[in-house]
Amino acid sequence: MNGAHDLGGMHGFGPIDPDPEEPVFGDEWERRAFAITLAMGARGDWNLDMSRHARERMDPSAYLASSYYEHWLHGLALLCVEKGLLTVEEIEARESAMRTEEQR
Amino acid sequence: MPVLTADRVASALRAGASARLLDDVPPRHAEGDAVAARNINTAGHTRVPRYVRGRRGTVVRDHGVFIFADAHAVDGQRKPQHCFSVRFEAHELWGEDATAKDAVYVDLWDDHLDPLR
Repeated sequence: MNGAHDLGGMHGFGPIDPDPEEPVFGDEWERRAFAITLAMGARGDWNLDMSRHARERMDPSAYLASSYYEHWLHGLALLCVEKGLLTVEEIEARESAMRTEEQR
Repeated sequence: MPVLTADRVASALRAGASARLLDDVPPRHAEGDAVAARNINTAGHTRVPRYVRGRRGTVVRDHGVFIFADAHAVDGQRKPQHCFSVRFEAHELWGEDATAKDAVYVDLWDDHLDPLR
């Protein structure tokens, strides 16, 4: 699809300047996002290419404003909802509960 | 799609997952062939980046037979076919201001390419 993921040839993102010391995961939640995505993939409800397409379907403005593993989490949530494993309401309720916990 | 059971997790993570298939499918293109990338604008998944659509390139390597990602993303069909490394000259992609020595190599499948004669 002609989504925000298809960045090749676009101007304005600046030079590609990878950090040779870049850690595999920048934060602990990224490690969990990776693990949960792999574990859920093992259920066999979808394949790798369906996962990629789910990430591509993220809202374009949100896609460009968020990080790599945020794309992963978004894609995973979308597939879980589409396959009937979770509802949007359940995800939102959990997010809300986690925010409340953080604020304590 | 197969379920990964607990007893196979360790070996599966060690081996990784390959999209290579053993199906005996004849290639529609060969190394050295002039090809054009199809102008695909599907709302589904495609491995054809926008900047090569409709552009002319040359097949430089036949990687062998692989799962066709575009079909696999829609309904899980593997549609086994050859995947090629295709060289696109910078001039062809970015116009006359691009340097003559630069090129982009893109891995594309049989269904992405039309022969140029």
